[in-house]
Amino acid sequence: MHSESARASSAAEARFRIDDPNSRPRLVKVVALDRPSQAVVERLAQHQCSGATFLIASAFAVEPQGGGQLSMQNRLSDLAGHPKQLLDEINGADLLVMVATAGEDASAAAMIGEACSRKHVMTSALVLGSGAATDAALAKTLAQLRPWALMLVAASSDDYIADMLSALRA
Amino acid sequence: MLRKEHNDLLTQTGPGTPGGRLFRSYWIPALLAEELPDNECPPVRVKLLSERLLAFRDTEGRHGLIDEFCAHRGVSLWFGRNEEHGLRCPYHGWKYDYTGQCIEVPSEPVESGFCSKIKLKSYPLVERGGVLWTYMGPPAKQPPLPEWEFALVPHQRSFISKRLQECNWLQAMEGGIDSSHVSFLHRGELTSDPLFQGAKGNQYNLRDARPVFEVVESPGGLYVGARRNAENGHYYWRITQWVMPSFTMIPPRGDHPVHGHFWIPIDDENCWTWSFDYHPTRALTPDERQAMRDGKGIHVKYVPGTFRPRANKDNDYLIDRAAQKEGRTFSGVAGIAMQDASLQESMGPIVDRAKENLVSTDNGIIMARHRLLRAIRNLMENAVLPPGVDVSHQRVRSASLVLPPDQPFKEAGREALVVRPGVAHASV
Repeated sequence: MHSESARASSAAEARFRIDDPNSRPRLVKVVALDRPSQAVVERLAQHQCSGATFLIASAFAVEPQGGGQLSMQNRLSDLAGHPKQLLDEINGADLLVMVATAGEDASAAAMIGEACSRKHVMTSALVLGSGAATDAALAKTLAQLRPWALMLVAASSDDYIADMLSALRA
Repeated sequence: MLRKEHNDLLTQTGPGTPGGRLFRSYWIPALLAEELPDNECPPVRVKLLSERLLAFRDTEGRHGLIDEFCAHRGVSLWFGRNEEHGLRCPYHGWKYDYTGQCIEVPSEPVESGFCSKIKLKSYPLVERGGVLWTYMGPPAKQPPLPEWEFALVPHQRSFISKRLQECNWLQAMEGGIDSSHVSFLHRGELTSDPLFQGAKGNQYNLRDARPVFEVVESPGGLYVGARRNAENGHYYWRITQWVMPSFTMIPPRGDHPVHGHFWIPIDDENCWTWSFDYHPTRALTPDERQAMRDGKGIHVKYVPGTFRPRANKDNDYLIDRAAQKEGRTFSGVAGIAMQDASLQESMGPIVDRAKENLVSTDNGIIMARHRLLRAIRNLMENAVLPPGVDVSHQRVRSASLVLPPDQPFKEAGREALVVRPGVAHASV
C-alpha cells in the first residue's frame, strides 16, 4: 500500500503537474558601473531577448550632495546614451543588478543602492573578471558593493550574467 | 529557471551522457568499507551512474567492482559463491576474479584458453577512510586517489553514513548549497540537536533570518558565504564549500564536528546521500558517535538491514502535524536529513526546472549549474579536466568566522578555508 507521498512523487504523477505559467514577467534593471562592464552589458543587450533593461551608471556624480545627503536626481543613461532618472528607473522594478569589474571603481553602487533601499527594491551585484584579478583588486570592488547588495557574486566569466538573467526569468 | 536541454545535461549521468562523462572523471564513493567486512564475504549489489555492478572482497582482501551479470547466460552474480580468489556463478560454475577476468569455465577444456576471452567490465575499488571509492572513467585518465580531509583523518575522528535518496542527484545537491533554507526548515534543530546546540554562532543564526549572501568562485567550485550581523558592527560569516561535482561542506558550529555530503547518482531518479562528520584534531566522543548512530545531525535512522531512511515516502516521512503547529519542527518532519530529503523527493524524481522561479538569493545554485555546464562543455569539446579532480581542490574546509565589516571572507578566511593538518577548523 503506497502512501500519498510515495504516489505523489512518482514519475507518473509528475505528468499531471499543472502546465500553466506560475509567474508573471519580472522587471529587472541591469546597470553597468564601470567602462569594462558597460562593454559586457552592451554585448549582452544585443543577444538578450528578454524583459531586462540595460543601463549605464557612468554619468553618475557619486559625491554626496549638501548635508551629506545623496541626491536622487542623478541620472543613468540607456545604452544609446539617453539620460534616465534613477528613481524613475527603479520604480516598480523587481530586481536591480549592478555589474562591476574587479579592480574598477564601483562607487556608483552607493547612490544606486541607497535609492533601491528607499524604494525597497532587491539588489544584486555581480563582479566580473574575478578569475583574472588580484585578490586585492577583487576585495576593493567587493567592499564598495557589499553595503548595497543583498546578493553579491564574483564570477570569472562574463557569460555568467546571461545564465543568471535567464535563471531569474529576466 | 533552467531550459530542458540544460536540465537533461545536468541530471542524466548514465553511460554515454555528457553528465555521466563528467561524473566519470572523479573518484566517487561507492560503498562503506563495512559493507564488505571480511575476505570472501557475500557480494553486494551496487548501482552507480545507471550501471548495475557487484562489489566483492576476494580471498586475499582485494576489492572488486564488476558487471553484476555473468557473461554466460546473464545470471546475477549476487547469487555467486565468493571462494578461492574469485566469484563463481552458481548456474554453470563460471568464475571471475576481482578485475572481472573470467578464470574458469568448467565446461570448456582448460587448454582451450576460452576463459581468457571472457572479461566483465570492472572498475577499481579502493578503501580510504572507511569508504570504498571507485573511478568509472577511462583507465588512462584515472586521477590520483581522493584527498578529502574526512577520509584522511584517523578513523577515531570520523563518522560516515549513507542513505538512499529517491530523487535525482542534482535537486538533492542543490539543497546543500542553498544556505537560505536553514533559518526556516532547520531552525528547531539549532537549539535541540546535540550535534549543533550550544554554539555561539547559533544565536546569530536565530537572531538574523535574512542573511546576505556572497558567492565566489573557488578553484574547485564555489565558496557560498552567508553573512549575518554580529556584535559591534562585525559580521558572522558561514562559508560553505562546494567542490565539483557534488561535494559540499557545511560550516561548523562551536567545537562540534564539521560535516558535509556527497551526492552520487544511482540512476537518474535516485542517488546516495553520503554524510560525513569529522573533527580535524580530536577523536569523536562516545556521545557524539552515538548521536550520529541515532540519526542526529545530518544522519538518519534506517529501515533495519537497509540504507533506506526509517522516515521515507512510504510512511509520509512520519510527518507530525502537531509538532509542526507547535513549532517543534518547522515542516513536521523530524531530523535535518529527512527535512531536506522529504522536500527534495516531493519535487518528483527529476524536477522540471522550467517551472521554477529562482530569486537572487539562489545565485549559489545558479552559479553551480553554470559551472557544471561549463565543465561539461569543456570536457566534451576540449577534453579539459573538470575542477575538483585535482587533489588540491579537495583539501578544503568550510568555516564560520566573525569578521570586521571591511574584511572579505575569502581573504580573511584564506587559512581557514584550506586543510591545515593538526589545526582545528575555524568555528564560532
